[in-house]
Amino acid sequence: MSLKAGTKLEKVLAAGEFALTAEVGPPRGPDAEVVLKKAEILKGLADGYNVTDNQTAVVRMSSIAGSKLLLDAGLEPVAQMTCRDRNRIAMQSDLLGAAALGLKNILAISGDHQSAGGSGKLKGHPGAKGVFDVDSIQLLSILKGMRDEGVQAGGDSLSSKPAFFIGAAWTPLGPPIEFRVLRLAKKVAAGADFIQTQAVYDVKAFAEQLAKAVDMGLTKKTAILPGIIVPRSAGMLRYMHNNVPGVTVPDQLIARMTDAADPAAEGLKVTVELIEQVRELTGVKGVHLQAIEAEELLPDIIKQAGLSPRPEV
Amino acid sequence: MDSFQPEITLLYCRQCLAQGVKPVEGRRAGEGFSARLVMLPCSSKVQLPHLMRLIEAGSDALQIAACPEKACQHLVGSNRAENRVAYGQDLLAQVGMGAERLGLEREAGLSLDDLLRMAGRRAEAVRALGPNPMKGV
Amino acid sequence: MITAEWKPIEEMVGYLRGHKKVLLVGCATCVAECAAGGEREVETLAPLLAMAMQNDGNPIEITTATLERQCEPEFVATIADRAAAADAIVSISCGIGMQLMADTHADTPLYPGVNTTSLSIREEPGLWTSRCAACGDCVLGVTFGLCPVARCAKSLMNGPCGGTRENGMCEINEDTPCIWRLIVERATARGQVESLVEVKPPKDWSNSPAGGPKRMLREDLRS
Repeated sequence: MSLKAGTKLEKVLAAGEFALTAEVGPPRGPDAEVVLKKAEILKGLADGYNVTDNQTAVVRMSSIAGSKLLLDAGLEPVAQMTCRDRNRIAMQSDLLGAAALGLKNILAISGDHQSAGGSGKLKGHPGAKGVFDVDSIQLLSILKGMRDEGVQAGGDSLSSKPAFFIGAAWTPLGPPIEFRVLRLAKKVAAGADFIQTQAVYDVKAFAEQLAKAVDMGLTKKTAILPGIIVPRSAGMLRYMHNNVPGVTVPDQLIARMTDAADPAAEGLKVTVELIEQVRELTGVKGVHLQAIEAEELLPDIIKQAGLSPRPEV
Repeated sequence: MDSFQPEITLLYCRQCLAQGVKPVEGRRAGEGFSARLVMLPCSSKVQLPHLMRLIEAGSDALQIAACPEKACQHLVGSNRAENRVAYGQDLLAQVGMGAERLGLEREAGLSLDDLLRMAGRRAEAVRALGPNPMKGV
Repeated sequence: MITAEWKPIEEMVGYLRGHKKVLLVGCATCVAECAAGGEREVETLAPLLAMAMQNDGNPIEITTATLERQCEPEFVATIADRAAAADAIVSISCGIGMQLMADTHADTPLYPGVNTTSLSIREEPGLWTSRCAACGDCVLGVTFGLCPVARCAKSLMNGPCGGTRENGMCEINEDTPCIWRLIVERATARGQVESLVEVKPPKDWSNSPAGGPKRMLREDLRS
C-alpha cells in the first residue's frame, strides 16, 4: 500500500509499529514561545503532535498556526479542525493553506458547542454563532475528495492534490452504544485513516467496543489509537466520569487515586498501566497521550511505558 | 407609616369556607387594615390580568385563599392558582412593586373572622412596603 | 407555532422612557398559543408596564389591543386611530406582525416587547420545545420523523457526536434529549438502522434563512 501523505505517523503505522501521538495545547494569546517551549519538551518523543482547535470553544492560537510552529521546530503536527467555527469554504481554504505550509496530518472533529466556552473562570463567546455548516463525517469526505480526486466539495477541481493523512475521533462508549461502532464505520467509509478515541479509563468496556470494530473489519482499514489522559487526582477522574460524556472511570481507579499518598505520582503509574493494557488489545495500533496543560509530564511517562525511542521509519 | 391602613383585596375560594358559613362579599374593617372580600367558585379563577389590574387600580395587596392540596374540587385548580401567584409575585418584584403585595394561603373550614385574619396577615406583610404608589394615578 | 417570549421588563422600561402614550398590541394566533402575546398577556403586561414606568419616574398612559392576526393588513387597519393617538407602539406579536405594524404606522416608533425565538410545539402545558429550523431542505423522511437541524445543537446530519450524556440527554442542555439517540432508537425499532450508516452529504443551506431573505412567489395566486 502506497503512502497517502508520508508523515511519520503514517509511516510508523504502515510499518506495523506501535504509534504514539501527544497533544499540545496552544496558548490563549499570540505567544509563539509557549508553543516552542512545549515543542522543546516533547521533541522526538512522539510520531505526531495534535494541536487543538479552539478546544472547548475557548479562543486560542489557531491549530494551523500552532501546527506550523511545531513543524518548523522539527515536530510533525496533527492539525485539528472542528465544524463549529468554519463553513466548508473556509475549511477547504484553510486546508489548502495548511497543505501549502507542509501540514499533512489533519484530524476532523465536530467540536464543542460555542456555549462551552463560558465556564469556570472564562467568559468565552457563548453568544457567537456556531457555524456547523458541515459535520465531522462530511468534513472527512471533503478531505478525502481533495486528496484523492483533487476536487472541492462543490465539484470544482483543485490546481493540484494536497496530501493528507486523515484522522477522526471516536467516542466508543456513550449512548446509543450499539450505534457507536456503526458510526465509526461511517467515519472509515468517509475517509478516516486513523482514529484517536475519547479518554479510556475503563479498558474492559473499551475492549468490548473495539472487538466489534475488529469484527466489522474496520481495524484493517483504519488505525485506532485509544486516547489516554494523565489523571492528576481522584477529583479530576470523578469530574470526568460525571461530566464528560463518553468517559467512564471504574470505581476502583477512583478509589486507588483517593487512597494514594502521592496522587500525582500514582496518576503517572496509572497512565503507564493504561498504555500497557490497551497495547495488548487486538486492533489497537498506538496511543494518543494527553496531559492537559502539563505536557512536561509526558517525557517520563513515554519512557516508562517503553515507548522511547520512537521507531526509525 | 403608622397611618398606613393597607387596603387588602381578599379573593377566596368558596370551598375554603366551613360548612354552614354564608359567603360574604364587600368591604370589612380590620385592626389597622381594611379588606374587600371577593368570592370565587374556585381559586383557579384568578388570572394574571385580574391580579395586575387590581394592583394597578390601587389595592395595597392581594390575598388568595385556596383549598388545601388534594382538596381542590377541580383537582388541579388550586395548584394552578399557586403557580400563577408565584409568577405574579416575581413580576411585581421586577416592576418595583414588591412581591409581598401578592400572596396565597391554603386553608379549609374558614369562618368570616378567619378570612379577615388572613387579610390581616397580608396587611402586616406589606406594611413595610408602604401604600401602593399607583393610588390616585 | 412561532414562539416568542417576553423581553426583560427592564429593557422595555428603557425604551419607553420619554414616551407618554403607549399602545400595546398583541396577536391571538401563534404568540397566544405560546402564552407570550395573546389577550391574556397583553392585559397582564399593560398594567405591569404602567406600574414599572410609574416607579421609574416616567409615568405613561397605556392602551391595549389584541388583533386576531398581526400579520394581516385587514386586522392591523382596525386599530388605526388608537395607533395614531400613541407616541409609541409596543408589539408582542412575532417579528412578522411587528413589522407590518411598523410599516402600517410608519410615523410611530415601534418597540418589540418579545423576542421571537423558534418554531416549536407545546409538548406539555407550559413547555414549548423546538421542532423546525426552516432550513428549506427537509430531511424528516430519512431521519425517521425527527429533525436534527432544529433539535441537534450542532445540526449534525451524521450524528450523534461524542456529547451524548449517559442518560441520553444532550451535553449542551441536560434537559434536551440527544435527537440522534432518538433517531437511532426509532430506526432500531423499525429494523432500519442500516439506513443511518450511509454518509449523508453536506446540506444545501441556500434555501434556508442563511441563503438570504426569502421571496416565495406563486404566479397562480397573484391577482
